[in-house]
Amino acid sequence: MKVSRKLTLLFFLGPALFVVVLFYIVPLFLSIYISFTPMTDWNINRYLTQFIGLQNYERLIHIMMYDPDMRAVIITTCVFIAVTLVINVFGGLLLALATYFMDEKLSLAYQGLWLLPRMTPVAVYSLLWYYFFHSSGIGLLNAILMRLHLINHPIALGLDPRYLPWGAWFIIIFVNGLVGVSYGMIIFYSAFKSIPKELIIAARVDGASTGRIIRHILLPLTKWHFTFITVWQMLSLLTSFAQIFLLVEWRVVDSTWGQTWALYVFRTAFTTVKDQGLAAAASTFLSVIGIALGLVALKALGYKKMILEPKGDI
Amino acid sequence: MMPEVADVETIERRRMNIMLGIVVLLASAPILVTYFVLIASSFTNQMITGGIIGQLTFTLENWILFFEGKLAVTAASVLSFWDILRYIFNTFIIAFGVMIVVTVLATLAGYACSRMKFKGRTFLIQLLILLHAFPGVSLIIAVYALYIFSKQPLPASAWTFYAFLYVIVARAALEVPMDVWIMKGFFDKVPWEIEWSAIVDGASRIKVWKDIILPLVKPGIAAIAIFSFIAGWGELIYVMVFLPATEKTLATYIAGLLAGGSLEVVHLPVVAAAGTLYLIPTLVFFTFVRRYMLQTSLSGIKG
Repeated sequence: MKVSRKLTLLFFLGPALFVVVLFYIVPLFLSIYISFTPMTDWNINRYLTQFIGLQNYERLIHIMMYDPDMRAVIITTCVFIAVTLVINVFGGLLLALATYFMDEKLSLAYQGLWLLPRMTPVAVYSLLWYYFFHSSGIGLLNAILMRLHLINHPIALGLDPRYLPWGAWFIIIFVNGLVGVSYGMIIFYSAFKSIPKELIIAARVDGASTGRIIRHILLPLTKWHFTFITVWQMLSLLTSFAQIFLLVEWRVVDSTWGQTWALYVFRTAFTTVKDQGLAAAASTFLSVIGIALGLVALKALGYKKMILEPKGDI
Repeated sequence: MMPEVADVETIERRRMNIMLGIVVLLASAPILVTYFVLIASSFTNQMITGGIIGQLTFTLENWILFFEGKLAVTAASVLSFWDILRYIFNTFIIAFGVMIVVTVLATLAGYACSRMKFKGRTFLIQLLILLHAFPGVSLIIAVYALYIFSKQPLPASAWTFYAFLYVIVARAALEVPMDVWIMKGFFDKVPWEIEWSAIVDGASRIKVWKDIILPLVKPGIAAIAIFSFIAGWGELIYVMVFLPATEKTLATYIAGLLAGGSLEVVHLPVVAAAGTLYLIPTLVFFTFVRRYMLQTSLSGIKG
């Protein structure tokens, strides 16, 4: 390669590579390293050079086995991911189907509406649900239930021990599900749109009902998208915690039964005990699962095929 | 016969349209209602959900209180108008910074990934997709450790500036992988012939990129610029972690108002006014992106 070519390549790729290395590659290894140190209270000068082997991992496993709060975190994470995933994938599929069979204009309006939660600042989005699930009479849910005479007094769905853990789970699943469905909707919708119209029209002419078109044309042709969305959404559910963080901070949901693994990592490092060694050990689990799922997703959509060779680089 | 058949089709289609429209409308009710409650409550004397309908009155008081930095009519002013203005400005600075960093890096790297042959190109592109999916929370501990480490040699007077710079670049980094991939898609659509003819005429690669290719991918640049602005505008976690407690954005301000579920001092419609104000730029930019995306698919150059 000529020097000028190398310089040109550096000009185009250098800045992005620099940021990627500094904020992904280095932190990935540094985080694993921190999990082998007793770092607490961000005292990096004192602790970063102390190596304590697997102690943090041993502690983590001990907590997982004996601390009921930690067991709540594990159960909550599993329930949260499983249920929200089903809602996201199938909700997204249903929305994509509904908007596919609609007038273009109407479907664009609805898609815009469903994308809104994804675009909304997380503080505002959580505020919407703070008002909705508020434990006093001003909470919309309480107002509705009282109007319907289903309850006499306002209830704290996410906090009251009588409704735990289901109340807290319901809230975090509902709030995240409403954001998540738009991803499936977009991917499925564009996949449906890329199916040749002739196929659908031919089926219609032959007298196929809408249900049969869905079952025999649309769904079989988007199998891979289904896999991709499932894996991708599982990844994002595994790691997203900003809304849940606010809902816990604002006392909308219980801090024990509303806490997922990702939130546990964040709170352990930054707000509660500030034990970064332990948090880093807990986050290593997430990294391993994340990389594995990411590789599956890459395979599922055959990205490699989509990366075309440059036609004629001079 | 033909017109009649067409007619039957239209009626069938129209019925399906109306039916689906109503079903999706019902499913969308939670979105419509919650956004309505937020925006409407910022203009009423109490939360519209709790009050007795007869006692609700229209008022601008919430907005005035919010801009005065007050949390309720009776509460003492802890903040001033200028504090609120600074919070809004801080939010803007972060959003603008993230937008600039992401747009520049993605337009550069997207071009290289689309147009240049180099060793490990396929690997790099796959890595970018993988990174986009990588758990951000498992990085933030190390990213913060790097932050404390790198700010130590700096004089204390530069820490606030450094915090802003760091939060902008660190937050932008989360957007870079996906936006490089998006920009690559836009560059892929530009015909090679345009580039060849310019290179044959003796122009350098960088000059061709700047003068000839960039104007052709303007819709793509606009799209990622707006997307990254929205991402930076809404950011909570990074701002909360990296900025000093005195430098708030609208996100951390709102988050702090309701911390611990405190109700006694905070008049909730005032928070609704803060939230509505915070939502407005997102709504405006969001309508832009949708229009741009439409234009892109209609006027995109065939590759």
